[in-house]
Amino acid sequence: MSKIVLEVEGLRTSFFTRKGIVKAVDGVSFFVREKETLGIVGESGCGKTVTGMSIMRLLPEPGGKIVGGRITLNGTSLLELSKREMRNIRGCMVSMILQDPMTSLNPVYTIGDQIAESVRMHQNLADEKMITNEVVSSLRLLQIPSPETLLKNYPFQLSGGMRQRVVGAIAMCCKPSLLIADEPTTALDATIQAQYIALFKDIQAKTDVAIIFITHDFGVIADMCHRVAVMYAGKIVESASTSEIFKKPQHPYTRALINSVPRLDRKDDRLYSIEGQPPSLMHLPPGCRFCERCSDSLEICSKEEPPEKNIGNNHTVSCWRVQ
Amino acid sequence: MEYLRDINEAKIEKRMELRRKFSRLMLIIPVVILALLILSAIFAPLLAPYSPTEIAMTERLQPPSFLKGGSPKHFLGTDSLGRDVFSRIIYGARISLSFSLIVIFITGTVGTILGIISGYFGGRLDSFIMRFTDVALSIPAILIAIILAVGLGPSFKTIVIASSILGWSGYARVIRGEAMRLREVDFVAQARIIGSSRMRIMIKHIFPNVINPLIIIATMMVGLMIIIEATLSYLGAGIPPPNPSWGAMVNDGRNYLETAWWISFFPGFCIGLVVLSCNYLGDWIRDKLDPRLRRL
Repeated sequence: MSKIVLEVEGLRTSFFTRKGIVKAVDGVSFFVREKETLGIVGESGCGKTVTGMSIMRLLPEPGGKIVGGRITLNGTSLLELSKREMRNIRGCMVSMILQDPMTSLNPVYTIGDQIAESVRMHQNLADEKMITNEVVSSLRLLQIPSPETLLKNYPFQLSGGMRQRVVGAIAMCCKPSLLIADEPTTALDATIQAQYIALFKDIQAKTDVAIIFITHDFGVIADMCHRVAVMYAGKIVESASTSEIFKKPQHPYTRALINSVPRLDRKDDRLYSIEGQPPSLMHLPPGCRFCERCSDSLEICSKEEPPEKNIGNNHTVSCWRVQ
Repeated sequence: MEYLRDINEAKIEKRMELRRKFSRLMLIIPVVILALLILSAIFAPLLAPYSPTEIAMTERLQPPSFLKGGSPKHFLGTDSLGRDVFSRIIYGARISLSFSLIVIFITGTVGTILGIISGYFGGRLDSFIMRFTDVALSIPAILIAIILAVGLGPSFKTIVIASSILGWSGYARVIRGEAMRLREVDFVAQARIIGSSRMRIMIKHIFPNVINPLIIIATMMVGLMIIIEATLSYLGAGIPPPNPSWGAMVNDGRNYLETAWWISFFPGFCIGLVVLSCNYLGDWIRDKLDPRLRRL
């Protein structure tokens, strides 16, 4: 087993608003190893992105606060660092790719400048040539054709897929040990999406980087991830290896999610969808959070929260139905 | 149908060509006017036939040389003290133009800094700065200038202070709005992801993206500043005599409007020219900087 890069224990993140406290992430624990990809999957508003942002310690201010838990990256406890120490870690030890490549590059700087900014901040390279070398090698890693000519281009001259590669190059240029990818393929079309995922597998093979892949698409998970954590209303309801979760999904929510993926080998008239809406994160029900939408809930489900059970093979589920 | 479409395309093509030519002309004219005025302000001692303050009572109120009774010695005539209007306009350009440039530089800098800080940080700091801006916007600059002129005595410094003390508020409002919009854009999040500090984000990422509105406001302000200077001088709170400034010259000629209109008319005409030129230039820059209009 390779070493654990990131360990998150009982992470709780809340937003303090005028209307009340929104518990966006409520006691989430997981870990990622070197060379491993963990998929975090769930519908909009379930806390996937907030989990990623909490690891980066980049919650929207004012309002967003990490209220509990521990985040350990390469042995350093991130929540105990000062702002300045955290800035040195960001972009260097841990990096992130955002969803929309159209807006995540600054329109007034060239591609070369934008990647070099991160190199300049984190690596003590005195020589301009060495910086350019780093930038070019980072663009190469992302398999960008003729990187030298691209350096002087502005973002608007590139296509969406190319821009997302540049964003990847910015994230990878300081060789982070953890990369958080927040729906990096959502804004890309299907063929480019497949290329991008293949690209990340290649990068992982070359650099040993651990990846947290945040998505709502089980199809992408099957392609990309070694392990999966399914999130619902701020909690991880089920986590297992990818093959295990596709073979034996235990939580009714996981099953429903897998059923909602369109399939070519089945002739369905309509796509499967889950009835109802997730509970308000401000007024959480006392029992299981999925209870209201669950097709086979028990009496206990609406009264008590199900504990996390390990059913072997590192497969954990929180559901009263699972014995 | 195909045939009809061809005709329309040709027509549109022609019209667009005309429009392009026209817009180029509309750019060349103001640029030439401004360049001439700035050059004449710089080289005033070489260009002006007389000293702007030289009094010649024997030659007072002479009409411009191209009018009946005008002497060829004074191209634009003389004022009530026999001073050459042409020379005074050339020297006056120095004061009027340098005044507006200095004030625009000061107010633009202060307004941009406050606007970016206010918009980027938001929250209580934003409310605090914006309340100050509201107050500054609500006080008429002329009033402050008159009060200051009484307190400090009318001088170039006084009107610069008076105009700058409130002038930043317009910039601050607009820039703050831009900064608020920009801080939610992903490239700012991206900058934080790679570990940029707030200071760095404001200088390297927000500022270059607010330069467009900044340039547009600044060009619009040139005209306004000349008008403010003229108004203050006209009210006697501006540049003290005998120094020439366009506004003060318009004021000087007030009593002679019926008999010697040229004393007021020519400096007034220059004010109009500069204001118009700057506004056209500002419009043009705005169109050029807007990516949606750039391709047309």
